[in-house]
Amino acid sequence: MIPMALSLPGTAVTQPAAAMAMDEAAFRLLYERTARPLRAYLLRCCGDPSLADDLIQEAYLRYLRSGFAGESDDHRRHYLFRIATNLLRDHFRRRRPETALAAEHEGSQSRGEAVDLRSDVGGAMAELSPKDRQMLWLAYAEGASHLEIARVLGLRAASIRSMLFRARRRLAAKLEARGFRPFEETS
Amino acid sequence: MSKPCPFEDATAAAARGGGWSAELAAHRDGCLRCAELTLVAAVLAADAESLAADPRPLPDPGVIWLRAALAAREQKLARAMRAITWVQRAAFAAAAAVGLFVAPELWSLLKPALAGLDLASPFAGMPRAAGSPVLALGVSLAILGALALYELTAMHES
Repeated sequence: MIPMALSLPGTAVTQPAAAMAMDEAAFRLLYERTARPLRAYLLRCCGDPSLADDLIQEAYLRYLRSGFAGESDDHRRHYLFRIATNLLRDHFRRRRPETALAAEHEGSQSRGEAVDLRSDVGGAMAELSPKDRQMLWLAYAEGASHLEIARVLGLRAASIRSMLFRARRRLAAKLEARGFRPFEETS
Repeated sequence: MSKPCPFEDATAAAARGGGWSAELAAHRDGCLRCAELTLVAAVLAADAESLAADPRPLPDPGVIWLRAALAAREQKLARAMRAITWVQRAAFAAAAAVGLFVAPELWSLLKPALAGLDLASPFAGMPRAAGSPVLALGVSLAILGALALYELTAMHES
């Protein structure tokens, strides 16, 4: 019978599959270098720690399934952030299908969103649109260039400067409303 | 949008990592755009640093690796399954075509054998029917065809 014919001899599942472009040790190293910054990005963009943990697992799974080798650590890191951004986009679309387009342009958290408001920064970020959060985090927490931001978010590089300026203004206003001042020590 | 400030990149770098020159600090104090940039960049960099030091454990990379390996194995199996299904379909189609092609000939061979069967007394007719190779071939083909059809439909249902 067909199912019996397909019961292949026991293959250890920890063996690297042909589709994966790296072995387990290389994956662990990549994970060690990128997981914390990636979780911080996801957390600040989605506002929910447990969701961020779910998304981070899904991001690495997709990365492994893609068989992407990358030319350098930076290349792999950007690819991971790109996957994470797509996952965030899917998440926001699923949550608010009726306002999916609006969510891309104008901010404020949805009612059901479990926003991490433990910090003032988390609260201020949660009041921005998902795209603003992603752009600002990539630019100022990750130090990404405009070109890199454009690649990760799938936008035109030429429009990043003006979009970033407007997002920055919005966040600065939220932060100032929470008592942050431009030249004070923040850490 | 106001005109971009030429000090923006330097201001962003200084806000994230320190290293304010006197000239840059003086500029920042008088430029609203750079003041906002300083606030945002410094706050987000400090926030990123504190989140990176978050003591909560990360998801286990071993589990992620295992899930990816399992998914890859399943994908491999699905690919093999697809190939076998196509081979089966092709074999079935070829058998059906051959069957249709030889059906008239087969029927003309079977007809006298069937006519020779004495249905009124099966025990008496048995040796003649069982001894007919053409009839045996016909019955075998019918059983095999039915089995192949059953297997194909069962596989699609599962």
